[in-house]
Parts: sequence; C-alpha cells; structure tokens
Amino acid sequence: MTVSKFFILNKLLTHNVRLFLLWGGAVWIVMHASLVNASEGKNLNILQIHGFLSQGYVNTLGSNNDVFGDSSRGRGSFDFREIGVNASYRPLTNLQFSGQLLSRQAGEDSKGGIRVDYGFVDYTAFTTETRELGIRLGRTKNPLGLYNDTRDVPFTRPSILLPQSIYFDRTRNLGLASDGAQFYGESREEWGDITVQFGVVFPQVGDRATEWAILNRDRLGHLTTRLSYIGRMIYERDGGRIRLGISGAQVNVGYDSAASLNDPLNEAGSFQFTPIIFSAQYNTERWSFTSEYALRHIMRKDFGSALGKVDTTGESFYFQGIYRFSPSWEAVLRYDVYFADRSDRDGSDFFAHIQQAAPQLAKHYPAYSRYAKDLTVGLRWNVTPSIMLRAEYHHVNGTGWLSQLDNRHPVRPDFPAFTDRHWNLFAFQASYRF
Amino acid sequence: MVARFVDHWWCCILLLLILIGLSHDINSAETSQSVETIIHPAVNIHHISRNSLRGIFGMRQRAWPNGLPIRVFVLPDDAQLHNQFAKEKLNIFPYQLRSAWDRLIFSGTGQAPFLVNSEEEMRARVASTPGAIGYLKRVNIDDSVQILHIE
Repeated sequence: MTVSKFFILNKLLTHNVRLFLLWGGAVWIVMHASLVNASEGKNLNILQIHGFLSQGYVNTLGSNNDVFGDSSRGRGSFDFREIGVNASYRPLTNLQFSGQLLSRQAGEDSKGGIRVDYGFVDYTAFTTETRELGIRLGRTKNPLGLYNDTRDVPFTRPSILLPQSIYFDRTRNLGLASDGAQFYGESREEWGDITVQFGVVFPQVGDRATEWAILNRDRLGHLTTRLSYIGRMIYERDGGRIRLGISGAQVNVGYDSAASLNDPLNEAGSFQFTPIIFSAQYNTERWSFTSEYALRHIMRKDFGSALGKVDTTGESFYFQGIYRFSPSWEAVLRYDVYFADRSDRDGSDFFAHIQQAAPQLAKHYPAYSRYAKDLTVGLRWNVTPSIMLRAEYHHVNGTGWLSQLDNRHPVRPDFPAFTDRHWNLFAFQASYRF
Repeated sequence: MVARFVDHWWCCILLLLILIGLSHDINSAETSQSVETIIHPAVNIHHISRNSLRGIFGMRQRAWPNGLPIRVFVLPDDAQLHNQFAKEKLNIFPYQLRSAWDRLIFSGTGQAPFLVNSEEEMRARVASTPGAIGYLKRVNIDDSVQILHIE
C-alpha cells in the first residue's frame, strides 16, 4: 500500500468512525433513555426532545441581488426553511448527552440535507453551589458573540436575518460548530455571573460555500481541517440585565491539492481566520439594546501564483434596539456595518487593483462589494409561546455579505454576477417550536 | 406600481396582526395576588439567596446542597403567575428566562424546565417529585408542599 493510499483509507476510516459514533451514540441515548423513562415513570423525565420548524420568504425585487434563492425574480424566494430536532439526556446531575439534527435550506449555500448540528457528551467534573468546571467532547457549537450558538433557531434570533456583518450566512459553516474538546467554567456570585468556554477543535470545511469563500470558486483539490482554537467569556449582571462578552477564535484550514489533475494550487496553501468579537447588551422590561463589534483578520497564503495572498483585517459592528409593546409584540431597529478591509473601507483600493490587473473583470468586482451598510426594521409576533410570525425590511448600501453562490454570473459562473449597490430586502417568516 | 400595491397590502396585514395581538393582551390583564416559591418537602431547606434561585430557574444550578437533583416546574411563558414570579421573586423578565433556556436547549448545554399547565398540576407535580421546585399563589398552597423564602 502506498503512502497516499494509506492516507485516503485512514481518512475514510476516521470519517466513518466519527459518523458511526455520532449516530450510534444518538440511537443508544434515545433507546436507553426511553427504557429508563418507561421504568421510572413521568416524574423523572430526563430525556428531552425539542425542535423547531420555519418557512421564510425573501423578496429583493427591484434589484439584481439574490438572497436565499431567486429572491430578485418572479415572486421572490420561498427557498428558506429551517428544521431542527434535538435530544438531551441527563442520567446524572453532572452528565448530559446532547445531539441535534438540522436541515437548512437557504438558496445555494445550504441545500437542505440533514446534518449533525452538534453531538457531544458534557461532563461537569467539579460543582459547588456557585461554581462549576467541566468538559464537552464531540461536536459543539462555536461560542462566538451573543447569537452564534443558536443561530439557526428562529426564536432565539433578534430578526429573521442575523446581523450579517458578524453572523454572515455565506461562510457560515466555518464558524458554526466544530469537533473536539470544549472546556467550560461558570461562577455565579452576587456581583454577577461569569461563563467561560474554551475549545480545542477541528472546524468543518467540507462544503462548497466554504470553498468558494476561501478559494473564490470550486477548485480541483479540497480544503482540510486543522487544529483550531475558540473561546468566549460572558459576564452577566442582575440575572442578565447587563451582558458583556468577548469571544475569539483562530480557525486554521489547509489544502489537499489534486496533483494528479494538474491542480494549479499548491498543497502548501493555508488559510487562517482570526476574529475577535466584543458584545454588550442591556435589557429592561420594554427595551433591549445590543451592540457587537468585531475585528476579523484573514490570512491566505502559499497557494502559488494562481491564487494571490490575502492579509487583511475586516471590521464589523451593529447597534440594535428591540422594543416590546407587549409580551407578544416586539419591534426591532438595527444599523449593521460590514467592511471587508478596514484599511480600504470604501473598496476603492481593491477596485483600482482589479482595474489594473484584469480590467475585463472590473464589472464583476465593484468597490461596493467590499462593504455593506444595512438599516433594518422588523416586527415579531408571538402568536402563542410556540408559534411566531415575523416580518422585516432591510435597506442596504453595498453587497459585502451577499452570497457568492446565489449571485454567480449566468455566463461566467466562476465570477460574481453584476449586482446593485443600493437595494432593499423584505422578508417574512413563520416558525413553530416544540 | 405593483410593488407599491404589495407594500400597502403587507402594511394592512401587519396592522391587523398588531390589533389582534393587543386585544389579546388586554384580555389577559391580571388580578394581583402574592406568589411564593414552593419545593418538595424532602429538599429540606427553608431559605435561599435570590442569586441561587436565579441559578436554579435559569437551569444552571442542578443539584440541591444535599445532592438531590433539582427538578424545575414552570407555567407557560404567557401565564400571568409566571410573569409575576419572574419579576417579583427572580427580579428578571419572562423573556429573559425564555432566552436563557433557549440558549441551553438549542446548543445542547442544558435542559428545559418541566412545563405544567395549571396551578393544580403545579402543586401535584411538585408535591410528588423529590427535588422539585415551582411556584404558586399563596392562597393555593397547602401542606403537600413547602414554601421557600428568599433570604
């Protein structure tokens, strides 16, 4: 057996073993738990099943910019659905097994297949009345900012679309969840609660949207996951009246070159994403004010002459106010800003460079593709505690976070379509939970 | 022209929804009666700090000092007594409890409290579940459960 064959076999095995463990574990948990429940009766219901279901509608008529499907044509796009089911089983007070299956349809970036969103065992090694320390092993949600952990659950979001400057949907999988170990600690004192999480993990890089985001299009080889780090600390005062957070990550990705197909990209190529996010929230009975600020450093190098080096720092922030008219009605107002490169906020340097290097491509890469300023207003109605309806309107200047896969040029699909700088988006969503 | 018509149509729908929602809230206006925290007698404590009570109802503190697992019982999010309990005893708002629970439930890092649909069910479940904690109107409390005071 040659070395490369061995590696391929090894990879297949690891992949299958991982899947086997996840599914086998999930089945075992459900079977075992239902037996326990049956024998001990209703009072010790330690297996819980929850889930959610949503159907969305996105309309960007009047522009050429597509979001979650063909939203700029015909009647808009209904190509936006989220379905999730999770199970958690806590046989001991300090041991929990958790898993969630997710199917998300959102244009070309998420095609609706079923995937394991998370699946892990959580063991609290040390507990007192006010402190705890523990570890989670398996696939855990990445603790980033205030919303990332539950970003696909409509009820937990402040709006239908999360602020895209920080929670961009076009490269979502890289930041979604990762496989490995997560250590956590919690302290609850009179002066406030502190929760710390730190993960040593392998990110998920296998999908097409991530390849497009990192390598600009489909390539012959494929991205490989590398050891990465992620962490967050949140301070909450007065039961969450004030919430302050800082989170960061160093996400490492490598490249497996398809040498036999004359892949122009080098095996040595690597990509590193290093975001740091500051979060703040203030909650009163009627109002919630939230703001987050992120610096995102991106380093792409050593792919050879076919794919240039990137070494930029992007910047994102938003201000958001939520007002509750009543327990069942609330409105949201938000201003969200994204800069792909904070040293070239208006994209003029980027555009000048394109014009010089490849003038025939200039129309595909306008300056306004390097930023996006999004003003959002929205309404939420909790019809019952388990049914929610939402509507919102976005007025956007720039296409910085527009999906690359949803906006490919019809004749030259490896290049971005011609988009519009000023555009409007209307969205509606119905959601159910149990 | 068509776009403008569609916009107006949406506005009408939203306005209608707001009216329905508001009328619903007015109907559910409360009659104020005092609320108490209740526990299963086997828990065997009489006082607790507000901070610990928040930790328990936030589903973060999972065992009593004697090691018994904590079982939290709550009424639906839109129940008047739930609202009153959250505000008076925990000093937080029901929407904050809901978002704290959802963060645990949908990231797999915790579990939801047990839902009961009436005060009678609340009393019956707390009285029959070792380690249980819940809340009731003072007038509805009997010897089957024990009151837990905030120190």
